[in-house]
Amino acid sequence: MAAPELAQTDPEGIEGVRMTWLNWPRSKVEASKCVIPIAASIQPIRPHVDLQILPYPPLRCKTCSAVLNPFCRVDFTALIWICPFCFQRNHFPQHYSSISQTNVPAELYPNFPSIEYSIPNYQNPQNYPAVAPSPIYLFVLDTCMIEEELEFAKSALKRAIGMLPDNAMVGFISYGTQVQVHELGFSEMSKVYVFRGSKELSRDQVLEQLGLGVSGGRRAGPGIQKGGAGPSPTAGAGPSPTAGAGPNMGINRFLLPASECEYTLNSLLDELATDQWPVAPGNRALRCTGVALSVAAGLLGASTAGTGARIIALVGGPCTEGPGAIVSKDLSDPVRSHKDLDKDAAPFFKKAVHFYDELGKQLVSQGHVLDVFASALDQVGIAEMKVAIEKTGGLVVLAESFGHSVFKDSFKRIFEDGEQSLGLSFNGTLEINCSKDIKVQGIIGPCTSLEKKGPAVANTVIGQGNTTAWKMCGLDKNSCLTVFFDVSSSEKSDPAGSNPLLYIQFLTSYQSPDGQMRLRVTTVTRRWVDSTLGNEDLIQGFDQEVAAVVMARLASYKMEMEEGFDATRWLDRNLIRLCSKFGDYRKDDPASFTLNPCFSLFPQFMFNLRRSQFVQVFNNSPDETAYFRILLNRETISNAAVMIQPSLISYAFNSLPAPALLDVQSIAADRILLLDSYFSVVIFHGMTIAQWRNMGYQNQPEHQGFALLLQAPHDDAQLIIRDRFPVPRLVVCDQHGSQARFLLAKLNPSATYSNAHEMMNSGSDVIFTDDVSLQVFIDHLQRLAVQAS
Amino acid sequence: IDTAALPRPLDGDVEPKSLAEMYPMNCSSRSLRLTTSGIPSSMSLASRWHLPLGAIVCPLAESPAGEEVPIVNFVTTGIIRCKRCRTYVNPFVSFTDNGRKWKCNICSLLNDVPGDYFAHMDASGRRVDLDQRPELTQGTIEFIAPAEYMVRPPMPPLYFFLIDVSISAVKSGMLEVMAQTIKSCLDSLPGYPRTQIGFITYDSTIHFYNMKSSLMQPQMMVVSDLDDVFIPLPDDLLVNLSESRNVVEAFLDSLPSMFQDNMNVESALGSALKAAFTVMRQLGGKLLIFQNTLPSLGVGRLRLRGEDIRVYGTDKEHASRVPEDPFYKQMAADLTKYQIAVNIYAFSDKYTDIASLGTLAKYTGGQVYYYPSFQSSIHKDKLRHELTRDLTRETAWEAVMRIRCSKGVRFVSYHGNFMLRSTDLLALPAVDCDKAYAAQLSLEESLLTTQTVYFQVALLYTSSSGERRIRVHTAAAPVVADLGEMYRLADTGAIISLFSRLAIEKSLSHKLEDARNTIQLRIVKALREYRNLYAVQHRLSGKMIYPESLKFLPLYGLALCKSIPLRGGYADAQIDERCAAGYTMMALPVKKLLKLLYPNLVRVDDSVVNLSPQTDESDIIRKRLPLTAESLDTRGLYIFDDGFRFIIWFGRSISPDIVRNLVGEDFTGDFSKVSLSPRDNEMSRKLMKILNKFRKSDPSYYQLCHLVRQGEQPREGFFLLGNLVDDQNGGANS
Ligand SMILES: [Zn+2]
Ligand SMILES: [Zn+2]
Repeated sequence: MAAPELAQTDPEGIEGVRMTWLNWPRSKVEASKCVIPIAASIQPIRPHVDLQILPYPPLRCKTCSAVLNPFCRVDFTALIWICPFCFQRNHFPQHYSSISQTNVPAELYPNFPSIEYSIPNYQNPQNYPAVAPSPIYLFVLDTCMIEEELEFAKSALKRAIGMLPDNAMVGFISYGTQVQVHELGFSEMSKVYVFRGSKELSRDQVLEQLGLGVSGGRRAGPGIQKGGAGPSPTAGAGPSPTAGAGPNMGINRFLLPASECEYTLNSLLDELATDQWPVAPGNRALRCTGVALSVAAGLLGASTAGTGARIIALVGGPCTEGPGAIVSKDLSDPVRSHKDLDKDAAPFFKKAVHFYDELGKQLVSQGHVLDVFASALDQVGIAEMKVAIEKTGGLVVLAESFGHSVFKDSFKRIFEDGEQSLGLSFNGTLEINCSKDIKVQGIIGPCTSLEKKGPAVANTVIGQGNTTAWKMCGLDKNSCLTVFFDVSSSEKSDPAGSNPLLYIQFLTSYQSPDGQMRLRVTTVTRRWVDSTLGNEDLIQGFDQEVAAVVMARLASYKMEMEEGFDATRWLDRNLIRLCSKFGDYRKDDPASFTLNPCFSLFPQFMFNLRRSQFVQVFNNSPDETAYFRILLNRETISNAAVMIQPSLISYAFNSLPAPALLDVQSIAADRILLLDSYFSVVIFHGMTIAQWRNMGYQNQPEHQGFALLLQAPHDDAQLIIRDRFPVPRLVVCDQHGSQARFLLAKLNPSATYSNAHEMMNSGSDVIFTDDVSLQVFIDHLQRLAVQAS
Repeated sequence: IDTAALPRPLDGDVEPKSLAEMYPMNCSSRSLRLTTSGIPSSMSLASRWHLPLGAIVCPLAESPAGEEVPIVNFVTTGIIRCKRCRTYVNPFVSFTDNGRKWKCNICSLLNDVPGDYFAHMDASGRRVDLDQRPELTQGTIEFIAPAEYMVRPPMPPLYFFLIDVSISAVKSGMLEVMAQTIKSCLDSLPGYPRTQIGFITYDSTIHFYNMKSSLMQPQMMVVSDLDDVFIPLPDDLLVNLSESRNVVEAFLDSLPSMFQDNMNVESALGSALKAAFTVMRQLGGKLLIFQNTLPSLGVGRLRLRGEDIRVYGTDKEHASRVPEDPFYKQMAADLTKYQIAVNIYAFSDKYTDIASLGTLAKYTGGQVYYYPSFQSSIHKDKLRHELTRDLTRETAWEAVMRIRCSKGVRFVSYHGNFMLRSTDLLALPAVDCDKAYAAQLSLEESLLTTQTVYFQVALLYTSSSGERRIRVHTAAAPVVADLGEMYRLADTGAIISLFSRLAIEKSLSHKLEDARNTIQLRIVKALREYRNLYAVQHRLSGKMIYPESLKFLPLYGLALCKSIPLRGGYADAQIDERCAAGYTMMALPVKKLLKLLYPNLVRVDDSVVNLSPQTDESDIIRKRLPLTAESLDTRGLYIFDDGFRFIIWFGRSISPDIVRNLVGEDFTGDFSKVSLSPRDNEMSRKLMKILNKFRKSDPSYYQLCHLVRQGEQPREGFFLLGNLVDDQNGGANS
């Protein structure tokens, strides 16, 4: 097998869309024979140098409200355009009257399948450019941790607040046994509203208790004095106790522009201590993450509708108090494992998931995001919170310590500006229009179904389905969704007639980081193929990298949703079916088996997927698994592919850095290897290299070449790290060192103890494992693929 | 009764001296007064007495300089007490068997004298060490209590402030005066360096303050869940004052401005109280509540109870004088159990249900301070003085009190502000010199065979310095077989004191009229009984006769019926004022009560003009006038002083010069808007000097000046004329 070689520079292009199949089978039956589902991976707001931003609203088809696009047929003389989705003829409005064959507006340029509209604020009656609503950053800080960790977290927060744009609105909640909402606008002294950590609160209760209730504070109970003895204000005419728009009223007491509250927040953080409530020996700290988050959500509920907001939670341990608890406070009860979940022996799990699901729904209805930054040696409940994070399009980072670069640098990234910016956007909505006969089954990825019914809704559901519209409260440049399609036409009917093209339009409206409302319109076209005439078109249009990622996402989804789902068997069966259908072979002759280059990388992807953290979950905690899956589902195809199948680069004297086989044989005493498995980046020094380095050769002028060789993988690692969110863990290790396991775990065990004698050569290594090697796997595959079925 | 003919107590309270002469080793009458020191020898005799039989106890009465209470520490022997009745060793025990045994004066048991306490007897049968044993020579003594008198280490003095900050607290200026006053008292709170302090403020929410010593500023923590109040911090809501002094001062400095824009009209007292209770229950201490409006939210929310004119005179009349919601009494019980004493400061210009709020003070050994329609421009000095006294007076903590007496007599009821823990144990979370308690006595046996009855008051408490102590007062009283003797040995002050408590209590379950009638009836019966004794001599006169000891009783009785808690009906006092006065009178020592009932009236125009700097102002105070309109000369300037307020009366024909000098140029204006402040002239200085003299002689409350011009109605009627008890129109007629 060749080393993975993904040389395409920009496979997504301006479309930001990649599909498992470029050419689509015509019928449902044909589609199912293709084994790999028809799916598109889209990056709804992927930046691109050629992307045009139009300062006017889009034209929409009056029947299906698809947006004018390059695939519309245009009659320039009659000023009519025909919608490619419903064939409706639409008149261009007056201000398009000057268009012609030679004066085509940008949205009709064939080069611009994606285009973006800047939408003025319609709410403003005068149509003046409205002041962009400032996004809200509501920080939620766990204080149940050791002093050192809290200091790390505090300094990260301080740095973040310093980096926020001046107009960003900032709020702060700290919590431990109880929840404290800090009233940053109170100038006299530090002031907090405190909530019991054990009590579930509705949004209205939260608002009421914060003095933000709709009624404007508590209504007077019976017996309240209005005009008793002596002069007094007339009943009912007195000022409402907490309503009104005074300077200290409303949500502005809690949310202040970053420029105004930075000083307050810094001094508040300086004085903030770890949770003061005593923890009995043998117990976990009482930590009410669930109530803290629902208070945060409740507070944001008082913000103006349509304001983008994110809850940025820094969590230092498991929730043990109140709703959302994932484990008892007794330390002798361990946090649930995958085994416990399998055996239904995790008494807190379902209740907690239900709680976070409801929280997610509330946040989605408000249009707000939940980000979780968890740093702890034990689990904190990402597995339970996943649903809320994913539904709101939130970010998640799992680290061992708030002092670790995985947290520190990742956290910094989300506030960075300019080139490094993640482009965090708010209030996204995705809508999909597609040609007749195409149905949408659903989306796997960071979004929530808006349950918008229509003819394009498929009967079967995958992920967020039953809709053609989805909410993405938070989205960024890298946000990626996997859309699963179904083909509805039967073999015989051919309603589209001779039209060999299909169209899909993705409409993404969102609020950009600077607060502007945007609408990204991406219209793609693909070809229908009649597979009864042969597989060639299908084969040529297969994107094996996308297919691998889609299979990984689907397998993970099924593992979560289907009880007793055996992912390994499911992947094997599908791979065998795929090879049977698309391989070249003589029946029952494994030796004759070959695969077209368009498929040739796929079996290795599946081999690595079977061994990956996504399928072999028992090697990880449920939190880690959830974390891996959230990222698998929201990352770009190339990043997701690296998660499944790490990349390996070899550095040696007298040769350029080169991709190396993800195989134990790539280890050599005189080489340095750079492994990128997405979550970690490993620099691995061969034995000899390590010895030389220990002797300090790199510091001697005559060994400058060695110094350069040592430096090169570090520079490349930095390039990887700089571009990635979350920031991966960097491991620098030597052959036979204890950290070497980070590399070995990812390598193909071509040399195991069962064949160690044959394989021992030139300082290579042996992996002690029962896993089958890639060669064994491929041998089996070929044998099974060629069997007559 | 012809009131004009009654003798007037123009010398105030004159304590009877006969008992002290009879038993020089008795404790001072400041601590213990009997309604008569002639204890009836038989039940039949007692039944002809008609007046209450009992005692007024003021366990921590202040001693004049030179008469400090001796402190005794029985380090080696333990405190010497009777094995059977637990009486403390006292001057009335006798030593026998060559000093090896002592005989209890209360139960007559012969106790062994512990070896370390043994002393030889001299020829006259007295211990040779008597001059080194104050406990054997003095009626009042204080023992240092060893560990067995403690259920826990002695608590530190603790002051917790629960402050209503709703709109009126800010608008009236109360908050500012209160904060400044507390700050000014920080150096003089008892118990340095152990003193603890804490604060909670509240309106529609509860605000806690973290006062951790390492902070630069306090941190405010708001809890809004009124139905389920909880504590937002395990520590630091209650802090050591000396350690957190800076934070406490920073808090008091910002308190008024913090809430200056507060528009909140709600007041969640009940929930705030529960919060304060939770914070304090570890230690106990004093809880000062500053309430500005009717509690309107959460538990203990009170309603505007109609003070309905129609219920007056019916069986329901008393209902507005007792709490409706059991919350306050239950809360008071819990507070007392955890050694928390509550003082209520109430400020509203509207109905606040003092009847309910005062319950907290009543059952926790506390006190009610009432400043209706508080305005800082007017009431600032009064609040400042009274709060200062409350905070700085010597206070006994986590106390219990018991009164023992000889066999044959028994205390059957107790009256005042406390919680009765068992049949005869008064729980007093905090006690001070301004608190007195009354107890009624009855005969247990039909015939007393002894000649003397002994009483012993023991107050076990923790001093502010952190010592557990026992203050013991012992007194002997003769048993008499003659009714005349009983009357001769009567103490009007003690009788009136006990009567006032009984009548106020009766007004809580009966009509005011019934309460008044009961007193009057008993006085009349007593005097009739007395007259019958001497029927022969006085057969012809038909006039009232009374023994010298009771000559002021009818007038005081009349004054009691005209006092605010008992006077008239619906229109004669606002319900809150009535209840507040009732709570106050229930705790007053005898002297203060008598002054309140028969205030001082003195003429001062001559002194203001002519007083020479050498003159002692006491002379003026001594020239008291009868409380009758006839005492008032239209050319005169008078001071009326009931111990709680001054009324300065300006006669119609008074020299304008005096008025101008005292009041300033607006002397013709509305006196309700004029406050009497020191001015830069001789007359003003002299008047101030006189007023200060009055105040100094009686520091437990501050007399606020009310200016009244003769003929200015309704002011004059309300303030002065209505309080001239001698006059028929003084107060409501009965
Ligand atoms: Zn259309
Ligand atoms: Zn005895």
